[in-house]
Amino acid sequence: MPERARLDFDAWSFRLVMGGLTAVTVFFLLFPTVIVILTSFTASESLKFPPDGYSLRWYAALLGADQMRRAAWNSLEVAVMATAASVALGTAGALAIGRSRAWWAHALDSLFMSPLLLPGLAFGFAALMYVSLLGVELSLATLTVGHIVVCVPFVLRTTIASLAQLDPALLDSSASLGASPLFTFRRVTLPMIGRGIGAGAFIAFMASFDNIPVSLFLSDARTEVLPIHLWQIIDTHLDVRAASVSAVLIVLTLLLMLVAERLAGLSRHLR
Amino acid sequence: MSRGHTLTLDGVTHRFGPVVAVRDVTLEIKAGELVCLLGPSGCGKTTLLRVIGGFLRQSAGCVLIDGAPVDPLPPNHRRVGIVFQNYALFPHMTVAENVAYGLEARGMPRGRIREQVAAMLGLVRMEAFAERYPRELSGGQQQRVALARALAVEPQILLLDEPFGALDKNLRIDMQIEVKRLQREAGITSILVTHDQEEALSIADRIAVLHRGAVAQFASPTEVYDRPATLFVNTFVGAANLLRGRVADGGAAVALDCGAVLPCPVGPELAPGAGVVVTVRPERLGFAAGPARDRLAATVRAVLPLGSLTIHEVELGDGSAIKVMAVRQAGEPALRPGDRVHCEVVSPDACAVFPEEDRERGDA
Repeated sequence: MPERARLDFDAWSFRLVMGGLTAVTVFFLLFPTVIVILTSFTASESLKFPPDGYSLRWYAALLGADQMRRAAWNSLEVAVMATAASVALGTAGALAIGRSRAWWAHALDSLFMSPLLLPGLAFGFAALMYVSLLGVELSLATLTVGHIVVCVPFVLRTTIASLAQLDPALLDSSASLGASPLFTFRRVTLPMIGRGIGAGAFIAFMASFDNIPVSLFLSDARTEVLPIHLWQIIDTHLDVRAASVSAVLIVLTLLLMLVAERLAGLSRHLR
Repeated sequence: MSRGHTLTLDGVTHRFGPVVAVRDVTLEIKAGELVCLLGPSGCGKTTLLRVIGGFLRQSAGCVLIDGAPVDPLPPNHRRVGIVFQNYALFPHMTVAENVAYGLEARGMPRGRIREQVAAMLGLVRMEAFAERYPRELSGGQQQRVALARALAVEPQILLLDEPFGALDKNLRIDMQIEVKRLQREAGITSILVTHDQEEALSIADRIAVLHRGAVAQFASPTEVYDRPATLFVNTFVGAANLLRGRVADGGAAVALDCGAVLPCPVGPELAPGAGVVVTVRPERLGFAAGPARDRLAATVRAVLPLGSLTIHEVELGDGSAIKVMAVRQAGEPALRPGDRVHCEVVSPDACAVFPEEDRERGDA
């Protein structure tokens, strides 16, 4: 009987937690998203919910917003470059420290992961001071370097996780069959950890694309990125275009996730 | 197919920090021979296998194939094939791709790869499964593929790491026969690591019994079973009754603690009066009609009929228990718990005598 009671308690606590989490998610994540999307279709001049009438005028306005298009283009460029560099660095780092039990591997792991723990603002500020100390002018390049620092940990984490799943006997078998280390990497290691790298790349891309704290310090008027520009147009004149561009971003992100899920079963690697 | 190559281990020692995992192992393995490395877990057999495969560089000693040292060669240049306990098939490749892998790594032309893969799959009778993925195969089928993959590149030496451990009992016997057949046909020198003494006895040409990283005995299965070199080998391979006693009759017999005096082949290194352990296998003991000087008086504790055999556990005069195995007669067991009996050793060479200190070292 006590066994039965415990099972009931387990089931009950599971439902409570799951139900609670679902409610919080719906309330704080889904509702605001729906509200932003609905607001973006407003026919009026200001951000207001519920809208008085519906139109596509703010989407049409996006087409004419040169500054925003330039910011979006900057964001995309930085995100693509930062992701590419993070994948190269994160994968290489994960291969070196993922399987090692040496003390320095642990130390490096913590060091590379530290940008996730360090407050973004503190890092952004420090990076700005450092860049000006070196006498380097702010540019897309400096901005990209800043983003790489905060994006590498994502790739590193997911790649180390998928390396941990890789049976070392597969690598030994490959070697005993006469395969060189490079052949083994290309034909066994990479296919086995590819999805982990892909998942890391996806998160890194998103983290770069909507990063604010680092961009705030490391970008200037010429290299303004989309999240900063959005913040400014909301701050200065409550522009409805902020809502319509948010809606576009939400839809694009969902599409990207669907594609990634289809291609690589992404969600299994995001844990 | 490559015809056999010899493998020599010359004083191989391996240390993990302060721990000596393999201690001065010297083995001469003949071309085409199947040798079992047998021992309990932690005896160093897997370490030795990894040294032979080139995955681990030994601290001292030499590994030679056909008399030439291979120590500087990394695993991919050693031509030593390996089949792991979990088979380690590449999960993202089909059976055919798995078998072709080593050939592609060696840059064999496509046409020849196709022929060789077909030949290998034929050898292990897996032609029908060429396009399947490993997860779609049973354990036995995966093992056949792993063997085909290892043999496809024509290694000089084949290593098998506990290859039957993951199979259930009936399948295990089938696969042992299969592996033995393939090994004979290929004439490939093979080393099989196992902790299962029955497996070693049934499959090996010779067995190297490892104990605490060192070779305790290297001999044929019958030799290991019938004339164990140490008390450890005696108790690890097959069952053995241990009887304590002292050398008596000027070295021609042992006076046991339980009272009987057994005529035994006592080695010259054991002086009269020295403490010894006499071992007798349960099937080499029988029941006799009455008391005698060389018979062990005992009381039956338990009777276990096991189909064709019956195992009796009996208690001796000094309180120690031994097992006696007899061919089971039809009908009810003749003996019951509590019966007084007299046990007799079937012949003097059924006993082996070891110095007492072997036992005190905790070997048994």
